Amino acid sequence: MAGLANVFGYGAMTNHQNDIRNSRSIMIIGMNPAENHPISMQHILTAKENNRAVVISVDPRFTKTSAFANKYVRLRSGTDVAFIYGLINIILAKGWEDKKFLAERTYDLEGLKKEVAKYDLKTAADITGVPEADIEWVARAMAENRPGTVIWAMGGTQHNHGTGVVRTYCHLQMVLGNMGRPGGGCDVFRGHDSIQGVTDVGGGPETLPGYYGIGESAWQHFSKVWDVPYDWLVSRFKDKKMMEKPGFTVARWYEGVLMDPKELGQDVNLKAVMFWGHSTNSMSQMDRVKKALEKVELIVDVDPFVTNTAVLPDRKDGIYLLPAATNYEQWNTSTNTNRDLQWRDRVVPPIFEARTDLAIMIDLAERLGFRKEFIHYAKGDWKGVPASIKGVKELPEQTIEDVLREINFGCLSIGYNGQTPERLKRQVQWAHVFDINTKKAVGGPVDGEHWGLPWPCWSDKHPGTPILYRNDIPVSQGGCGFRATWGPKAPDGSVLLAGKGSAPPGGPKEGYPAEKDYARDLTQEPMKNALSEGRSPYGNGRARFNSWNIADPVPTHREPIHSPRPELIVKWPTYDDVKEHYRVPQLYKSLQKPDWVKRYPLILTTGRVVEMEGGGAAERNSWWLVELNPEVYVEMHPKVAADNGLRHGDWCWIESPEDLDGRSSRVWVKVKITKRVGPDTIFMPYHWGGMFEGKSLMNKFPEGTVPYSIGESANTITNYGYDRVTQMQETKTGLCRISKPKQS
Amino acid sequence: MAQLSTIPQRGGGPQPQQAAARMKFYVDAKRCIECGGCEVACKNENNVPPGIARIRVVTINEGEPGETNIAVPCMQCSKAPCVAVCPVDALYHRPDGIVALNKETCIGCGYCLYACPFGAPQFPKGTAFGARGVMDKCTYCAGGPEVAFSERERRLYGSNRIAEGKLPMCASVCSTKALVAGDAEEVAKVVRQRVAARGAGGGAWGWDTAYGRGS
Repeated sequence: MAGLANVFGYGAMTNHQNDIRNSRSIMIIGMNPAENHPISMQHILTAKENNRAVVISVDPRFTKTSAFANKYVRLRSGTDVAFIYGLINIILAKGWEDKKFLAERTYDLEGLKKEVAKYDLKTAADITGVPEADIEWVARAMAENRPGTVIWAMGGTQHNHGTGVVRTYCHLQMVLGNMGRPGGGCDVFRGHDSIQGVTDVGGGPETLPGYYGIGESAWQHFSKVWDVPYDWLVSRFKDKKMMEKPGFTVARWYEGVLMDPKELGQDVNLKAVMFWGHSTNSMSQMDRVKKALEKVELIVDVDPFVTNTAVLPDRKDGIYLLPAATNYEQWNTSTNTNRDLQWRDRVVPPIFEARTDLAIMIDLAERLGFRKEFIHYAKGDWKGVPASIKGVKELPEQTIEDVLREINFGCLSIGYNGQTPERLKRQVQWAHVFDINTKKAVGGPVDGEHWGLPWPCWSDKHPGTPILYRNDIPVSQGGCGFRATWGPKAPDGSVLLAGKGSAPPGGPKEGYPAEKDYARDLTQEPMKNALSEGRSPYGNGRARFNSWNIADPVPTHREPIHSPRPELIVKWPTYDDVKEHYRVPQLYKSLQKPDWVKRYPLILTTGRVVEMEGGGAAERNSWWLVELNPEVYVEMHPKVAADNGLRHGDWCWIESPEDLDGRSSRVWVKVKITKRVGPDTIFMPYHWGGMFEGKSLMNKFPEGTVPYSIGESANTITNYGYDRVTQMQETKTGLCRISKPKQS
Repeated sequence: MAQLSTIPQRGGGPQPQQAAARMKFYVDAKRCIECGGCEVACKNENNVPPGIARIRVVTINEGEPGETNIAVPCMQCSKAPCVAVCPVDALYHRPDGIVALNKETCIGCGYCLYACPFGAPQFPKGTAFGARGVMDKCTYCAGGPEVAFSERERRLYGSNRIAEGKLPMCASVCSTKALVAGDAEEVAKVVRQRVAARGAGGGAWGWDTAYGRGS
C-alpha cells in the first residue's frame, strides 16, 4: 500500500477485479489467484477467452495460476525490480512508451531512465534467472496488447525492498500508459476479508482512521469527529511525544517484549498483547514470537476458534481466550480489495458463548472507564447500545449503522462519506441490475451507481470511483486525476500538477491542487465546492517515478538479506542497518552474509493453499477442508529430493539460518515431490500450527478444541528480514537446508 | 416440451434406446482451477461420509506446462453403463435424465464400480473382506426415491435441490463456472459460446505450441 500511495496518492488497488474482463494483457506477478482469489479467475479466464488476453504468470513456482498462462516466467524470488526494469528498458528502447501520458501526468521520467539504464537485458537476465528471450517476449506482449493490467500480492511485497518492488509495477504501468483506463491499472489483490477496510479505518501503528497519520493535526481532527476533548486524548498516553510516535508492527511486536528497552523506541517493554482476529503462526521468526508469548504478563486472544496463540507458548497461565462471533453472526460492513463497501446481514445470532466484536469492545470500554466516549461521536451516541453491556452478546442492526455513519462523518480524506448505510443496503436489494463488466447499475433507484460505491465516494449522490485516476470522465461520474498529495511543486522545483489538457471533463482543463481542508472540514463544504466546479477534492496531480520521501526514491534491485547469489550482494546490497523503525532496531547489511548460502543452499519461500487461509485455525477445524488438504508438507523438486535421499512422503527436517538467536530453527515435515518448484527452492504453506520443532502441542489445546489437522508452522523457519518502509516480513525469500534423520 | 430427446439424431430410422437427454453436467477443463469449492460444497450439502467424494477434482501434469484440472461428478450418462450392468435395477434413469440410485435395492455387488469410467460409484461401508455395503454416488442433488425433503431422503441420499428448482450445489458454487449444470440444451448453448469465443487458430490454446511461439 505504501508503494502505491507513494506513486499515485492512494494506497489501494486502482481498478477492480471485474475490470480485468476488459484487459488484453494480464501480468500476474508474485500472485496466485487460482489459489488465493478463486472467483477472480472467472474474470481472468473470461478476458482470456473473449479478448484473447495474453496471460503472463511470473513466479518462482509453476503455480495453479501458471497452468492457465500463455507464458510462464520462472523468476528468482525477490528479483522483480530487475525483471520489470528489464521490461521497461526494452519498451523505452523500442519507443513503445505512452509519451503523451508520461509528459502530462508523471514526474521525473528522467530519474527513472537513469536507474533503468543499469538493467540491460544481460544484467536483468543474470539477476533474475529469466532468459533474455523471455524478457523480450513479455515486453512485446504487454506493449502490443493494451490495455493491460498488472496483478500482484505478497510475492511482490514480502521482501526487504518490497515497497520498491511495488513501485516498479506501478512504473511499468505508467510507462505503458495503462493507468486510469478500463482494463489497465495496478491491481494488487488484498488477501483477507475486509483487510482494505481494516487499513482504511486505521488498522496500522502509524495512522488514525482514513490515513490521517498520528500527528497533532490528525488527533485534533478526530477529537472533533469523536467529540472528545483533545486534552483528554493526550491524557490517555504517557505523553504527547509517545502519542504521536508510530507503534510496533504486527511483524515485530515481540521484539518489544524481548529486547532491552535501551534498544527500543520506548522506555519499557511490552507487558501485554491482545490478538483480535489475528494468528501468530503467520508471523515470521515464530520461535521469537514464542519466547515473547512466554515472557509477557498477559495474552488475550479474541477469535471464534482456538488458535496457535493459545498453544504455542510454554506457560501455565495468563492466556485468556475470548470467543468471538464470526462475520455470519453479526451485521457488518466490509471493504474489499476493489475498494467496494458492502453491507452484510447477520445470518444467525451469535452461537455458543460467542459475542460480537463490538459487544466485546464496548464491554472493555465499560470496564476500562471510557464507555461514554467510545459509543459517542459528534452526531450523538450510537443508537441501540444497552445501558449495560454485561452479558450482552450482540448489538442491534441500528448500532452497526451508526458505526458506519461515524466513519462516513470522519474519513473524508479517502472519500468514505458517500457510502451511507441506506445506500449500501439499497444496493444489496438491487444487486441484479449491476453490469458485470463495469459494475455500473442500469435502472432502478440505483441507476448510475457503481457496485460498492468504491471510495472515494465524495457525496451521498456520488456513484463511487471504480477505476482510480481515470480522467476521461467527469468527477461526478467517478473521474479523477492523480492525487496532488505532495503539493504543486517537487523539491527540485518541478511541477507536480497535471499538464495542460489532462483533467477530468467538466472542470478546469489542467492540473490543480487539492481543495483546502477538504479532509478536515467536517461540514464537507470544501468537498461540495470542488464537486460543484467539476474538480476532484484531492486535486489533479502527477504520478511519481521518484518518491523522494522514502528509501530508494527511485526503486533499485536489492538482494534478499539471505541471498542465494552472494556475488550479487556487492553490486546490489540490501540497506544499511536502521537504528529504529516502528520502535525496534532493524538489521539489514549486518545480516546479509555471503556465506549463508554455503550452509543453507536452498531458497525458502512460503505461500498459501486454496483450502486454508491465514493461520488456518478456522479451516483446520473444518472436516471438509482438512479432508482435501490433510497435512503440511514441503514442495521439493525431484532432483533435490533424490540428491538428499528422500522420496515422496518421507519426513525430514528443514532448517533455517541462525539469525538473531545463534541457533538454527527447524521443522519436521513431509516431502511432496513436485516440479512446481525449481531445483533451487523449497516451498512450504504457512497455514499450519499445533506442532513446534518436532513436538506436538496437541495436549495444550483445551478439551475438545484440537483441530482436525495440526502441523509445523512454516514461520518457525522463515528468516529475519523486513521491508525498509512498511516492516513487512521478507517471507518470500529466505534460505534453508534439508536435514534427513539418520537411520536408527 | 413433448419432445423427449434433445440430442439431434443423425438420419432417420428407429431411435436407439436411450434416456432423454435432459439434466447434464459439463466440466470445462479450460476453466477448472482445482479450488475444491465443488468438493466441499457437495460434502457439506449432502453430509457425505469421509473418504467418499461424490465429486472429485482430478489434476494431471501437476506443476508442469499442460497442468489440467477436471472435476468429476457422476456424469449422468445418456447411455449409462452402470444402469446397463446393475443386476437388480437399483440404478435407473429418471424421466429428466438423472441417473438415480435406490439404496434399498442395491446388493453391493460392485458391478457399477467396474463399469463406470468416471469412478462415480463408491462404497462407504466397504470392509477388508470384500463386503461392500451399499453404493453411494453423486445424486445431482436430486435426493432419491423417497418423499422429497423427508428425513429418510436426507439421511440416505442427502439434499434434494432439484425438487426445489435449484441446480446441484457444486455447479452453483463453482468459482470460474467451469462446472456447468442444467438442461442439456442450455448447457450446450454455454459450451457453444465458449468454443466460439475461444475459437481455433490465433489466440486459441495450443497455438503457441503448434507454431513454436513463446511457451
